[in-house]
Amino acid sequence: MRNIKWAAIVLGALLVGNVDLHAAEPTNSGLPEAQGIVTESQNAEAAAATEADAAAAAEATNKPVTRAELDGINSQLAILNDQLNRTLSLNTASTTRSLKIGGTLQTRYAFLDSNDTKGATKTKDASGFSIPAASISLSGSLRKDYADGRNLDYAAGFQAASGSSWNLQVTDAYLKYNILPTLDNEKPLLYVQVGQQKRPFGVEPLATEDKQPAINLATFAGTGGYSLSTRDIGLQIKGDLLPSVDTGYGYRVPLIEYSLGVFNGSLQNAADTNRSKDVAGRIAFNAPVDYNSDFRGLTVGASYTTGQGDYATGGTFGKASKTRLGYDISYVASPVGFTAEYVKGRDDHGIDLKSAKPVRTAGYTLTFFYQWGEQFLKSVRSQARADDWWPTTYQPFIRYDRWDPDTAIAKNETSIWTYGFNIFFAETTKLQLNYNVSEIKDLNNADVKAAGKGPLRKHEVAAQFQYGF
Amino acid sequence: MKRWIKMLPLLAAILSMTVVAKAADKPSVIRFVVPGYVPEKASPTQLLFTVVWEQGLLQQEFAKDGIKIERILTKQAGPGVNEAFANGKADFGQCGDFPLTVGKAGGLKTKLILGQENGSTTYIIARSGTGIRTIQDLRGKRIGYQKGTNSQPAIIKILALNGLTLNDIRSVNVTVADGTAALVAGTVDALLSGYDRPLVHQGVAVDVYNNAKQDYDSRGKTGLIVSEEFAAKYPDITKRLVKVFLRAGYYASQEKNRAALNATRAKLGANYTQAVQDWVGQDLKVKFNPLLKKSTVDSYKNLQQFALKNGLIRQGFNVDTWVDTRFQDAALAELGLQNYWDR
Repeated sequence: MRNIKWAAIVLGALLVGNVDLHAAEPTNSGLPEAQGIVTESQNAEAAAATEADAAAAAEATNKPVTRAELDGINSQLAILNDQLNRTLSLNTASTTRSLKIGGTLQTRYAFLDSNDTKGATKTKDASGFSIPAASISLSGSLRKDYADGRNLDYAAGFQAASGSSWNLQVTDAYLKYNILPTLDNEKPLLYVQVGQQKRPFGVEPLATEDKQPAINLATFAGTGGYSLSTRDIGLQIKGDLLPSVDTGYGYRVPLIEYSLGVFNGSLQNAADTNRSKDVAGRIAFNAPVDYNSDFRGLTVGASYTTGQGDYATGGTFGKASKTRLGYDISYVASPVGFTAEYVKGRDDHGIDLKSAKPVRTAGYTLTFFYQWGEQFLKSVRSQARADDWWPTTYQPFIRYDRWDPDTAIAKNETSIWTYGFNIFFAETTKLQLNYNVSEIKDLNNADVKAAGKGPLRKHEVAAQFQYGF
Repeated sequence: MKRWIKMLPLLAAILSMTVVAKAADKPSVIRFVVPGYVPEKASPTQLLFTVVWEQGLLQQEFAKDGIKIERILTKQAGPGVNEAFANGKADFGQCGDFPLTVGKAGGLKTKLILGQENGSTTYIIARSGTGIRTIQDLRGKRIGYQKGTNSQPAIIKILALNGLTLNDIRSVNVTVADGTAALVAGTVDALLSGYDRPLVHQGVAVDVYNNAKQDYDSRGKTGLIVSEEFAAKYPDITKRLVKVFLRAGYYASQEKNRAALNATRAKLGANYTQAVQDWVGQDLKVKFNPLLKKSTVDSYKNLQQFALKNGLIRQGFNVDTWVDTRFQDAALAELGLQNYWDR
């Protein structure tokens, strides 16, 4: 009973003290709230309140700490230190070098309808949920150059995709070294990358998954075209010249960007089969304007790649050359923008390799978009906010994609109209809605053959969540 | 499928791209962009905004009209303020006079409608052990500062006063937050800073220089801008907002409120002792004279000439037509403060 009494007294004292503390907290620094001129009496009251608060704060600040209080704080610090160390050792991954982990996953529902009435291919009209791809990326610095920013970085990526039978494959695997200093953004950049990486060609083939507007790649960029988005193993030098910096916005744009590389030509995760190497290069010219210019985001580029590949046809082996030449123009701005790419190719791999009968191909794509929202604005995106908040952006777009697998043959093209709507609603996360209308005339296409009555027409509605971390 | 049916998605897409403007006599929201680094707090250099915000003065002023106040705290400082205006995401904003000048020179459609704080002191701190004690010691060293903010003209002026140029140092473009980490990590040897210098307080860095003794107009200042479109569409709302800031300026300019203001600066995350020391010898009535008086306008003109001379902007603009004192004068008359501050 005696203990209960003491507890009640202590609790009561604490409550009273707490009330006093709240009373002592400044609720208003004295700013006048009424409309009109500030009166002297208002100001005097405000001043008296703030002076009293300041005096109380000063008195509390100057009060000496007792040994017991200091020991108590030291004890609490030791406990916190122990808890922190234990939490770190249990819950924190350990690496030998700096490491940044990222990844992208896709979840899709697609509904497909076509004029294909044959049973065997009609099954391809099946609709349903799928996970087209899941990837993970690791990157970091092996050497941080604090003096000049000549860092030695690494990148490793792995992806499992429906197109590769869900086998986990290496995507990016390269070292990157900054040859020129990087600390001054008014100076040009130059770096070298060696390993498995994307070849420098075009706009869409080089865009990362989170930057591609449509669910499906442009035909010329994908495996149905030139496989330009597929990695290759080799070495490339990348850099820029004549950078322009608008200090008012922290905006940097180089007049010229260039890349030149040497690759196996066997694409990713494959050893070279011959001594010849593919050469690929790209040069792009950016509008050298200030941030607030209407021409900001305007880029004109050209890409070229050439090489030789081994072919085996009917027991005959040989080499055949291949070339790709591309032009592109893009205007990536807000609220409107577009990208346009044209690529033509020549493959000297006819049925008889000795005669080197060439096959000429061509493809192009046009994309127009309109967007509103704040997700791509640094000022809004990188706010000092405490909650898990993220601005949204909405992006309707229209795309036309055309692919001609042999320009010598008339009426064998594939054309795809895509009407899309992207909703960026969280960091690195978007919902993509695409309606694709395809017309495939290529008689070598198995589905067209199976349909047996001219062009194959497909209507596909697809919704895909693409989310990264 | 008939061709016209195929065109329906195209028509829908075009319709979705059409933004229907709705005419109104008042906005539903006022968007205010201001530098901020600590979550939910404006930068310690934006004191008047903090006074206004902490007291809910804007919310009180416009609550009866049903107008919401949206605060954008950009970690990009002045460049972030400019970016928000360039993309039509802000109606009002405030930051340093240099980014305001650069933004206007770049074509931003804004009006400078009120001053804020005058004579912000620039500090240079160096990592302990680097041996840097004077401005001359900065020669060949890596100096961190954020380009596009008031730090950029400040470092040029400070170096010039000591016979140096930017070519004598190695500039590293970093934000205040990143610069603090960079100084500790050794990425930079010295750093331009505001009065809040936690590394000095912790003994990790030492003070090398400050320009506190220079006159108010030659040091950095902050200003309040509005988009031309908003000011033309809602002149009364603009005047009422200016009036709120004048009342805050009146409060801040009184010596008796110095302690409370320093306490507010501490709430923003600044070191209280350093905040107090920063204002030693500073006249609050001059420091918080928010009027766009002749000397203020002249200082903007001088800053523009300085920026042109040093290649920091590509083209000049007419400062006199940028400055719009209509709202300031009307609000002063309503407050009866026409003769309170020097003009």
